[in-house]
Amino acid sequence: MSPSSFEDASVAVPLTLGSSAKPSRIEAEVMESFEEFRDPLLRYSLSLGLTVHDAEEVIQEVFLALFRHLQLGRSRRNLRGWLFRVAHNLALKQRLANRTLSQRNVLDTRIAEEQIAATPSPEEEVSTAQRRHRLLAVVQALPDHDQSCLRLRAEGLRYREIATVLGISLGAVSISLTRSLARLTRADSR
Amino acid sequence: MLDQNLRHISDEELLFAAAGELSKHRAAEVHKHLEACWTCRARRMELERAMTDFAQSYRMELDPHLPPIGGLRALVRSRLRELAREERTPRWKYICRLNSGVRHWAYLGAGLVVAAALGGLLFRNSRTTSTTAWFEAETRPDGSLTPGATRQVTISEVCANPREEVIGEVSVSLRQEVFEKYGIVNPRPEDYEIDYLIAPGLGGTDDVRNLWPEPYHARVWNARVKDALEERLHELVCSGQVELSTAQHDIATDWIAAYKKYFHTNKPVVGS
Repeated sequence: MSPSSFEDASVAVPLTLGSSAKPSRIEAEVMESFEEFRDPLLRYSLSLGLTVHDAEEVIQEVFLALFRHLQLGRSRRNLRGWLFRVAHNLALKQRLANRTLSQRNVLDTRIAEEQIAATPSPEEEVSTAQRRHRLLAVVQALPDHDQSCLRLRAEGLRYREIATVLGISLGAVSISLTRSLARLTRADSR
Repeated sequence: MLDQNLRHISDEELLFAAAGELSKHRAAEVHKHLEACWTCRARRMELERAMTDFAQSYRMELDPHLPPIGGLRALVRSRLRELAREERTPRWKYICRLNSGVRHWAYLGAGLVVAAALGGLLFRNSRTTSTTAWFEAETRPDGSLTPGATRQVTISEVCANPREEVIGEVSVSLRQEVFEKYGIVNPRPEDYEIDYLIAPGLGGTDDVRNLWPEPYHARVWNARVKDALEERLHELVCSGQVELSTAQHDIATDWIAAYKKYFHTNKPVVGS
Protein backbone atom coordinates (compact mmCIF):
# COMPACT_ATOMS: atom_id res chain seq x y z
CA MET A 1 0.00 0.00 0.00
CA SER A 2 1.46 3.33 -1.01
CA PRO A 3 1.29 6.38 1.25
CA SER A 4 -1.08 8.02 -1.21
CA SER A 5 -3.53 5.16 -1.07
CA PHE A 6 -3.27 5.29 2.69
CA GLU A 7 -4.35 8.90 2.50
CA ASP A 8 -7.30 8.33 0.24
CA ALA A 9 -8.90 4.94 0.12
CA SER A 10 -11.57 4.93 -2.55
CA VAL A 11 -14.97 3.49 -1.79
CA ALA A 12 -16.10 3.40 -5.39
CA VAL A 13 -17.49 0.08 -6.55
CA PRO A 14 -18.06 -0.35 -10.29
CA LEU A 15 -21.77 -1.01 -10.10
CA THR A 16 -24.18 0.78 -12.33
CA LEU A 17 -27.38 -1.17 -12.59
CA GLY A 18 -30.73 -0.46 -11.07
CA SER A 19 -32.86 -2.91 -9.10
CA SER A 20 -34.84 -3.83 -12.20
CA ALA A 21 -31.80 -5.34 -13.91
CA LYS A 22 -32.25 -8.83 -15.32
CA PRO A 23 -30.48 -11.79 -13.65
CA SER A 24 -27.94 -12.14 -16.45
CA ARG A 25 -26.85 -8.54 -15.97
CA ILE A 26 -26.70 -9.05 -12.23
CA GLU A 27 -24.51 -12.09 -12.83
CA ALA A 28 -22.16 -9.91 -14.88
CA GLU A 29 -22.21 -7.31 -12.14
CA VAL A 30 -21.38 -9.88 -9.48
CA MET A 31 -18.56 -11.32 -11.58
CA GLU A 32 -17.16 -7.82 -12.04
CA SER A 33 -17.11 -7.39 -8.27
CA PHE A 34 -15.59 -10.86 -7.92
CA GLU A 35 -12.66 -9.84 -10.14
CA GLU A 36 -12.09 -6.71 -8.07
CA PHE A 37 -12.59 -8.05 -4.57
CA ARG A 38 -11.65 -11.72 -4.69
CA ASP A 39 -8.03 -11.14 -3.63
CA PRO A 40 -8.72 -8.66 -0.79
CA LEU A 41 -11.55 -10.81 0.59
CA LEU A 42 -9.57 -14.02 0.32
CA ARG A 43 -6.56 -12.41 1.96
CA TYR A 44 -8.72 -11.08 4.78
CA SER A 45 -10.37 -14.48 5.31
CA LEU A 46 -6.96 -16.16 5.43
CA SER A 47 -5.79 -13.57 7.95
CA LEU A 48 -8.66 -14.64 10.20
CA GLY A 49 -7.11 -18.10 10.36
CA LEU A 50 -9.01 -20.05 7.72
CA THR A 51 -7.40 -22.63 5.47
CA VAL A 52 -7.25 -21.78 1.76
CA HIS A 53 -10.03 -24.26 1.07
CA ASP A 54 -12.33 -22.81 3.73
CA ALA A 55 -11.52 -19.25 2.68
CA GLU A 56 -12.49 -20.08 -0.91
CA GLU A 57 -15.76 -21.56 0.34
CA VAL A 58 -16.44 -18.35 2.25
CA ILE A 59 -15.70 -16.17 -0.79
CA GLN A 60 -18.02 -18.29 -2.89
CA GLU A 61 -20.84 -17.77 -0.40
CA VAL A 62 -20.11 -14.04 -0.23
CA PHE A 63 -20.67 -13.58 -3.97
CA LEU A 64 -23.77 -15.78 -3.98
CA ALA A 65 -25.09 -13.60 -1.17
CA LEU A 66 -24.26 -10.52 -3.24
CA PHE A 67 -26.22 -11.98 -6.14
CA ARG A 68 -29.29 -12.50 -3.91
CA HIS A 69 -28.80 -9.07 -2.36
CA LEU A 70 -28.85 -7.37 -5.77
CA GLN A 71 -31.69 -9.51 -7.07
CA LEU A 72 -33.84 -8.37 -4.19
CA GLY A 73 -33.09 -4.80 -5.27
CA ARG A 74 -31.36 -3.95 -2.01
CA SER A 75 -29.04 -1.00 -1.50
CA ARG A 76 -25.88 -0.71 -3.54
CA ARG A 77 -24.40 1.91 -1.22
CA ASN A 78 -20.98 1.00 0.11
CA LEU A 79 -20.93 -2.49 -1.36
CA ARG A 80 -17.26 -2.87 -0.52
CA GLY A 81 -18.10 -2.55 3.18
CA TRP A 82 -21.03 -4.93 2.69
CA LEU A 83 -18.82 -7.56 1.02
CA PHE A 84 -16.22 -7.39 3.79
CA ARG A 85 -18.92 -7.56 6.47
CA VAL A 86 -20.43 -10.73 4.97
CA ALA A 87 -16.94 -12.25 4.53
CA HIS A 88 -16.00 -11.32 8.11
CA ASN A 89 -19.13 -12.92 9.58
CA LEU A 90 -18.90 -16.08 7.48
CA ALA A 91 -15.19 -16.47 8.17
CA LEU A 92 -15.70 -16.15 11.92
CA LYS A 93 -18.51 -18.69 11.75
CA GLN A 94 -16.31 -21.07 9.79
CA ARG A 95 -13.42 -20.53 12.18
CA LEU A 96 -15.63 -21.31 15.11
CA ALA A 97 -16.82 -24.47 13.40
CA ASN A 98 -13.30 -25.62 12.62
CA ARG A 99 -11.72 -24.42 15.85
CA THR A 100 -8.69 -23.47 13.80
CA LEU A 101 -7.42 -20.77 16.09
CA SER A 102 -4.48 -22.87 17.21
CA GLN A 103 -3.75 -23.90 13.61
CA ARG A 104 -3.65 -20.25 12.68
CA ASN A 105 -0.85 -19.56 15.12
CA VAL A 106 1.05 -22.54 13.75
CA LEU A 107 0.53 -21.24 10.20
CA ASP A 108 1.58 -17.72 11.12
CA THR A 109 4.72 -18.99 12.79
CA ARG A 110 5.47 -21.24 9.84
CA ILE A 111 4.99 -18.40 7.36
CA ALA A 112 7.20 -16.09 9.37
CA GLU A 113 9.87 -18.79 9.65
CA GLU A 114 9.66 -19.50 5.93
CA GLN A 115 10.13 -15.85 5.17
CA ILE A 116 13.23 -15.64 7.28
CA ALA A 117 14.60 -18.98 6.16
CA ALA A 118 13.95 -18.18 2.50
CA THR A 119 15.65 -14.81 2.72
CA PRO A 120 18.80 -14.66 0.63
CA SER A 121 22.10 -13.93 2.28
CA PRO A 122 22.49 -10.12 1.83
CA GLU A 123 22.28 -8.48 5.22
CA GLU A 124 19.80 -5.83 4.16
CA GLU A 125 17.27 -8.41 3.11
CA VAL A 126 17.72 -10.36 6.31
CA SER A 127 17.09 -7.25 8.35
CA THR A 128 13.99 -6.38 6.27
CA ALA A 129 12.60 -9.87 6.83
CA GLN A 130 13.34 -9.64 10.53
CA ARG A 131 11.61 -6.28 10.72
CA ARG A 132 8.59 -7.67 8.94
CA HIS A 133 8.58 -10.64 11.27
CA ARG A 134 8.71 -8.27 14.25
CA LEU A 135 5.81 -6.20 12.91
CA LEU A 136 3.68 -9.26 12.35
CA ALA A 137 4.53 -10.57 15.80
CA VAL A 138 3.38 -7.26 17.35
CA VAL A 139 0.13 -7.42 15.40
CA GLN A 140 -0.50 -11.01 16.41
CA ALA A 141 -0.21 -10.00 20.04
CA LEU A 142 -3.00 -7.41 19.63
CA PRO A 143 -6.60 -8.22 20.55
CA ASP A 144 -8.59 -9.82 17.67
CA HIS A 145 -10.61 -6.67 17.23
CA ASP A 146 -7.56 -4.44 16.80
CA GLN A 147 -6.05 -6.91 14.34
CA SER A 148 -9.20 -6.83 12.24
CA CYS A 149 -9.26 -3.01 12.20
CA LEU A 150 -5.65 -2.92 11.08
CA ARG A 151 -6.10 -5.55 8.36
CA LEU A 152 -9.22 -3.90 7.00
CA ARG A 153 -7.37 -0.59 6.91
CA ALA A 154 -4.51 -2.34 5.11
CA GLU A 155 -7.09 -3.46 2.54
CA GLY A 156 -7.90 0.21 1.96
CA LEU A 157 -11.21 0.41 3.82
CA ARG A 158 -12.11 3.79 5.30
CA TYR A 159 -12.91 4.25 8.97
CA ARG A 160 -16.68 4.22 8.47
CA GLU A 161 -16.46 1.09 6.32
CA ILE A 162 -14.43 -0.68 8.99
CA ALA A 163 -17.06 0.38 11.53
CA THR A 164 -19.76 -1.18 9.32
CA VAL A 165 -17.84 -4.43 8.82
CA LEU A 166 -17.14 -4.95 12.52
CA GLY A 167 -20.39 -3.44 13.80
CA ILE A 168 -18.64 -0.87 16.01
CA SER A 169 -18.63 2.92 16.22
CA LEU A 170 -16.39 5.23 14.22
CA GLY A 171 -14.76 6.34 17.47
CA ALA A 172 -13.96 2.74 18.41
CA VAL A 173 -12.26 2.20 15.05
CA SER A 174 -10.25 5.36 15.50
CA ILE A 175 -9.11 4.43 19.01
CA SER A 176 -8.25 0.90 17.91
CA LEU A 177 -6.14 2.03 14.94
CA THR A 178 -4.38 4.71 16.96
CA ARG A 179 -3.52 2.24 19.71
CA SER A 180 -2.26 -0.39 17.24
CA LEU A 181 -0.15 2.01 15.18
CA ALA A 182 1.35 3.59 18.27
CA ARG A 183 2.38 0.10 19.34
CA LEU A 184 3.85 -0.62 15.92
CA THR A 185 5.90 2.59 15.92
CA ARG A 186 7.21 1.76 19.41
CA ALA A 187 8.21 -1.72 18.30
CA ASP A 188 9.89 -0.31 15.24
CA SER A 189 11.96 2.20 17.18
CA ARG A 190 13.42 -0.43 19.52
CA MET B 1 3.72 31.41 12.74
CA LEU B 2 3.77 28.57 15.19
CA ASP B 3 3.00 29.47 18.75
CA GLN B 4 5.48 27.57 20.94
CA ASN B 5 2.72 26.90 23.40
CA LEU B 6 0.44 25.49 20.73
CA ARG B 7 -0.64 21.97 21.61
CA HIS B 8 0.57 19.24 19.29
CA ILE B 9 -1.91 17.22 17.31
CA SER B 10 -2.83 13.85 18.77
CA ASP B 11 -1.98 10.56 17.01
CA GLU B 12 -5.66 9.92 16.61
CA GLU B 13 -6.26 13.19 14.81
CA LEU B 14 -3.14 12.79 12.64
CA LEU B 15 -4.45 9.41 11.49
CA PHE B 16 -7.94 10.76 11.02
CA ALA B 17 -6.53 13.57 8.88
CA ALA B 18 -4.43 11.13 6.85
CA ALA B 19 -7.56 9.10 6.16
CA GLY B 20 -9.46 12.19 5.02
CA GLU B 21 -12.02 11.76 7.78
CA LEU B 22 -11.75 15.24 9.38
CA SER B 23 -14.26 18.01 8.74
CA LYS B 24 -13.14 20.62 6.20
CA HIS B 25 -12.65 23.24 8.85
CA ARG B 26 -10.62 21.04 11.19
CA ALA B 27 -8.62 19.58 8.28
CA ALA B 28 -7.57 23.13 7.32
CA GLU B 29 -6.50 23.85 10.91
CA VAL B 30 -4.46 20.65 11.07
CA HIS B 31 -2.88 21.40 7.71
CA LYS B 32 -1.88 24.87 8.90
CA HIS B 33 -0.39 23.43 12.08
CA LEU B 34 1.58 20.80 10.18
CA GLU B 35 3.10 23.45 7.93
CA ALA B 36 4.79 24.96 10.94
CA CYS B 37 5.30 22.02 13.33
CA TRP B 38 8.12 19.62 12.51
CA THR B 39 7.35 17.45 15.53
CA CYS B 40 3.85 16.69 14.28
CA ARG B 41 5.03 16.25 10.71
CA ALA B 42 7.63 13.74 11.84
CA ARG B 43 5.05 11.92 13.94
CA ARG B 44 2.62 11.79 11.04
CA MET B 45 5.32 10.28 8.83
CA GLU B 46 6.16 7.76 11.53
CA LEU B 47 2.53 6.64 11.82
CA GLU B 48 2.06 6.49 8.07
CA ARG B 49 5.22 4.48 7.71
CA ALA B 50 4.05 2.01 10.35
CA MET B 51 0.74 1.62 8.49
CA THR B 52 2.42 1.30 5.11
CA ASP B 53 4.94 -1.23 6.42
CA PHE B 54 2.22 -3.28 8.06
CA ALA B 55 0.10 -3.25 4.88
CA GLN B 56 3.13 -4.42 2.91
CA SER B 57 4.02 -7.15 5.41
CA TYR B 58 0.39 -8.29 5.55
CA ARG B 59 0.34 -8.77 1.79
CA MET B 60 3.76 -10.40 1.64
CA GLU B 61 2.63 -12.82 4.34
CA LEU B 62 -0.60 -13.85 2.63
CA ASP B 63 -0.28 -13.28 -1.11
CA PRO B 64 1.91 -16.35 -1.69
CA HIS B 65 -0.94 -18.44 -0.25
CA LEU B 66 -3.61 -17.13 -2.62
CA PRO B 67 -4.48 -19.84 -5.15
CA PRO B 68 -4.94 -18.98 -8.85
CA ILE B 69 -8.20 -17.17 -9.45
CA GLY B 70 -9.44 -19.41 -12.29
CA GLY B 71 -10.87 -22.31 -10.27
CA LEU B 72 -12.90 -20.17 -7.92
CA ARG B 73 -14.05 -17.93 -10.77
CA ALA B 74 -15.40 -20.95 -12.69
CA LEU B 75 -17.12 -22.26 -9.59
CA VAL B 76 -18.75 -18.93 -8.68
CA ARG B 77 -19.88 -18.37 -12.26
CA SER B 78 -21.43 -21.86 -12.42
CA ARG B 79 -23.25 -21.43 -9.15
CA LEU B 80 -24.54 -18.00 -10.18
CA ARG B 81 -25.96 -19.48 -13.37
CA GLU B 82 -27.56 -22.24 -11.35
CA LEU B 83 -29.12 -19.63 -9.08
CA ALA B 84 -30.25 -17.53 -12.04
CA ARG B 85 -31.88 -20.61 -13.63
CA GLU B 86 -33.74 -21.33 -10.41
CA GLU B 87 -34.91 -17.73 -10.31
CA ARG B 88 -36.16 -17.89 -13.86
CA THR B 89 -38.41 -20.89 -13.14
CA PRO B 90 -40.54 -19.83 -10.18
CA ARG B 91 -43.59 -21.86 -11.22
CA TRP B 92 -43.67 -23.76 -7.92
CA LYS B 93 -44.46 -20.48 -6.23
CA TYR B 94 -47.85 -20.50 -7.89
CA ILE B 95 -48.61 -23.90 -6.38
CA CYS B 96 -47.61 -22.65 -2.96
CA ARG B 97 -50.11 -19.81 -3.24
CA LEU B 98 -53.06 -22.13 -3.88
CA ASN B 99 -55.37 -23.05 -1.04
CA SER B 100 -54.54 -26.32 0.66
CA GLY B 101 -57.24 -28.43 -1.06
CA VAL B 102 -56.22 -27.38 -4.54
CA ARG B 103 -52.57 -27.65 -3.58
CA HIS B 104 -52.95 -31.29 -2.55
CA TRP B 105 -54.47 -32.10 -5.95
CA ALA B 106 -51.68 -30.19 -7.65
CA TYR B 107 -49.06 -32.15 -5.72
CA LEU B 108 -50.84 -35.41 -6.50
CA GLY B 109 -50.97 -34.54 -10.21
CA ALA B 110 -47.34 -33.54 -10.29
CA GLY B 111 -46.41 -36.72 -8.43
CA LEU B 112 -48.25 -38.86 -10.97
CA VAL B 113 -46.53 -37.14 -13.88
CA VAL B 114 -43.11 -37.64 -12.28
CA ALA B 115 -43.90 -41.26 -11.43
CA ALA B 116 -45.03 -41.94 -14.99
CA ALA B 117 -41.87 -40.39 -16.40
CA LEU B 118 -39.65 -42.37 -14.04
CA GLY B 119 -41.60 -45.55 -14.72
CA GLY B 120 -41.08 -45.17 -18.46
CA LEU B 121 -37.41 -44.52 -17.97
CA LEU B 122 -36.93 -47.49 -15.68
CA PHE B 123 -38.90 -49.74 -18.00
CA ARG B 124 -36.60 -48.80 -20.87
CA ASN B 125 -33.53 -49.29 -18.75
CA SER B 126 -34.38 -52.07 -16.38
CA ARG B 127 -30.77 -52.93 -15.57
CA THR B 128 -30.58 -50.29 -12.83
CA THR B 129 -32.91 -49.62 -9.94
CA SER B 130 -32.25 -45.92 -9.62
CA THR B 131 -32.67 -43.23 -12.25
CA THR B 132 -29.71 -41.30 -10.91
CA ALA B 133 -27.59 -44.42 -10.88
CA TRP B 134 -28.61 -45.10 -14.46
CA PHE B 135 -27.67 -41.59 -15.58
CA GLU B 136 -24.32 -41.93 -13.86
CA ALA B 137 -23.58 -45.50 -14.99
CA GLU B 138 -23.98 -44.45 -18.62
CA THR B 139 -21.16 -41.97 -18.39
CA ARG B 140 -18.65 -43.93 -16.35
CA PRO B 141 -16.03 -46.05 -18.13
CA ASP B 142 -15.73 -49.77 -17.45
CA GLY B 143 -13.08 -49.91 -14.73
CA SER B 144 -11.70 -53.26 -15.94
CA LEU B 145 -11.19 -51.92 -19.48
CA THR B 146 -10.23 -48.35 -18.59
CA PRO B 147 -8.47 -48.24 -15.22
CA GLY B 148 -6.53 -45.08 -16.21
CA ALA B 149 -2.84 -44.71 -17.05
CA THR B 150 -0.34 -41.99 -16.26
CA ARG B 151 3.11 -40.94 -17.36
CA GLN B 152 6.02 -39.80 -15.18
CA VAL B 153 5.40 -36.11 -14.75
CA THR B 154 6.37 -33.44 -12.24
CA ILE B 155 4.08 -30.81 -10.73
CA SER B 156 5.99 -28.06 -12.51
CA GLU B 157 5.44 -29.80 -15.86
CA VAL B 158 1.73 -30.20 -15.13
CA CYS B 159 1.40 -26.58 -14.07
CA ALA B 160 3.63 -25.09 -16.78
CA ASN B 161 0.70 -24.89 -19.21
CA PRO B 162 -2.93 -24.06 -18.72
CA ARG B 163 -4.89 -27.32 -18.74
CA GLU B 164 -6.65 -26.61 -22.02
CA GLU B 165 -3.34 -26.35 -23.85
CA VAL B 166 -2.27 -29.88 -23.12
CA ILE B 167 -5.23 -31.89 -24.35
CA GLY B 168 -4.00 -34.35 -26.96
CA GLU B 169 -5.55 -35.78 -30.12
CA VAL B 170 -6.40 -39.49 -30.16
CA SER B 171 -5.18 -41.31 -33.28
CA VAL B 172 -7.62 -43.20 -35.51
CA SER B 173 -6.01 -46.59 -34.75
CA LEU B 174 -6.23 -45.97 -31.02
CA ARG B 175 -9.88 -44.95 -31.33
CA GLN B 176 -10.59 -48.18 -33.21
CA GLU B 177 -8.84 -50.19 -30.50
CA VAL B 178 -10.97 -48.57 -27.80
CA PHE B 179 -14.22 -49.29 -29.66
CA GLU B 180 -13.16 -52.91 -30.15
CA LYS B 181 -12.39 -53.31 -26.45
CA TYR B 182 -15.85 -52.03 -25.58
CA GLY B 183 -17.46 -54.28 -28.21
CA ILE B 184 -18.87 -51.37 -30.18
CA VAL B 185 -19.21 -52.32 -33.83
CA ASN B 186 -19.42 -49.67 -36.59
CA PRO B 187 -19.72 -46.69 -34.25
CA ARG B 188 -21.18 -43.56 -35.75
CA PRO B 189 -18.95 -40.50 -35.18
CA GLU B 190 -21.89 -38.56 -33.77
CA ASP B 191 -22.57 -41.16 -31.05
CA TYR B 192 -19.33 -41.22 -29.08
CA GLU B 193 -16.35 -39.15 -28.12
CA ILE B 194 -13.17 -41.01 -27.20
CA ASP B 195 -12.24 -39.31 -23.96
CA TYR B 196 -9.29 -39.53 -21.63
CA LEU B 197 -10.10 -40.84 -18.18
CA ILE B 198 -7.11 -39.02 -16.64
CA ALA B 199 -6.66 -35.90 -18.77
CA PRO B 200 -3.20 -35.31 -20.29
CA GLY B 201 -3.16 -32.05 -18.37
CA LEU B 202 -3.19 -34.10 -15.15
CA GLY B 203 -0.53 -36.54 -16.33
CA GLY B 204 -2.77 -39.00 -18.23
CA THR B 205 -1.38 -40.84 -21.26
CA ASP B 206 -2.39 -41.76 -24.82
CA ASP B 207 -2.89 -45.34 -23.70
CA VAL B 208 -5.84 -47.56 -24.49
CA ARG B 209 -6.18 -48.18 -20.72
CA ASN B 210 -6.79 -44.46 -20.27
CA LEU B 211 -9.42 -44.00 -22.99
CA TRP B 212 -13.09 -44.83 -23.21
CA PRO B 213 -16.04 -44.15 -25.51
CA GLU B 214 -18.07 -41.42 -23.83
CA PRO B 215 -21.63 -41.24 -25.22
CA TYR B 216 -22.63 -37.87 -26.61
CA HIS B 217 -26.23 -38.44 -25.60
CA ALA B 218 -25.39 -38.14 -21.92
CA ARG B 219 -27.36 -35.13 -20.75
CA VAL B 220 -26.33 -34.85 -17.13
CA TRP B 221 -22.83 -36.17 -16.51
CA ASN B 222 -21.37 -35.27 -19.88
CA ALA B 223 -18.00 -34.30 -21.31
CA ARG B 224 -18.41 -30.63 -20.42
CA VAL B 225 -18.98 -31.54 -16.78
CA LYS B 226 -15.87 -33.71 -16.84
CA ASP B 227 -13.91 -30.85 -18.43
CA ALA B 228 -14.94 -28.61 -15.53
CA LEU B 229 -13.71 -31.24 -13.07
CA GLU B 230 -10.36 -31.49 -14.89
CA GLU B 231 -10.00 -27.73 -14.76
CA ARG B 232 -10.84 -27.66 -11.05
CA LEU B 233 -8.38 -30.46 -10.26
CA HIS B 234 -5.67 -28.74 -12.29
CA GLU B 235 -6.19 -25.57 -10.25
CA LEU B 236 -6.20 -27.46 -6.96
CA VAL B 237 -3.06 -29.41 -7.84
CA CYS B 238 -1.20 -26.32 -9.04
CA SER B 239 -2.17 -24.33 -5.94
CA GLY B 240 -0.88 -27.15 -3.74
CA GLN B 241 -4.27 -27.96 -2.26
CA VAL B 242 -4.45 -31.47 -3.68
CA GLU B 243 -1.65 -33.95 -4.43
CA LEU B 244 -1.30 -34.83 -8.11
CA SER B 245 -1.45 -38.55 -7.27
CA THR B 246 -4.70 -37.97 -5.31
CA ALA B 247 -6.25 -36.08 -8.23
CA GLN B 248 -5.25 -38.85 -10.64
CA HIS B 249 -6.54 -41.55 -8.30
CA ASP B 250 -9.88 -39.81 -7.66
CA ILE B 251 -10.65 -39.08 -11.29
CA ALA B 252 -9.63 -42.59 -12.37
CA THR B 253 -11.59 -44.37 -9.65
CA ASP B 254 -14.90 -42.57 -10.22
CA TRP B 255 -14.89 -39.22 -11.96
CA ILE B 256 -18.50 -38.47 -11.01
CA ALA B 257 -17.77 -39.08 -7.32
CA ALA B 258 -14.67 -36.89 -7.72
CA TYR B 259 -16.80 -34.12 -9.21
CA LYS B 260 -19.21 -34.30 -6.28
CA LYS B 261 -16.30 -34.24 -3.86
CA TYR B 262 -14.41 -31.30 -5.36
CA PHE B 263 -17.44 -29.20 -6.29
CA HIS B 264 -19.33 -30.01 -3.07
CA THR B 265 -22.52 -30.82 -4.95
CA ASN B 266 -24.56 -33.83 -5.95
CA LYS B 267 -25.39 -32.57 -9.42
CA PRO B 268 -23.36 -30.87 -12.09
CA VAL B 269 -23.25 -27.11 -11.87
CA VAL B 270 -22.15 -26.75 -15.47
CA GLY B 271 -22.91 -28.36 -18.76
CA SER B 272 -26.34 -29.69 -17.94
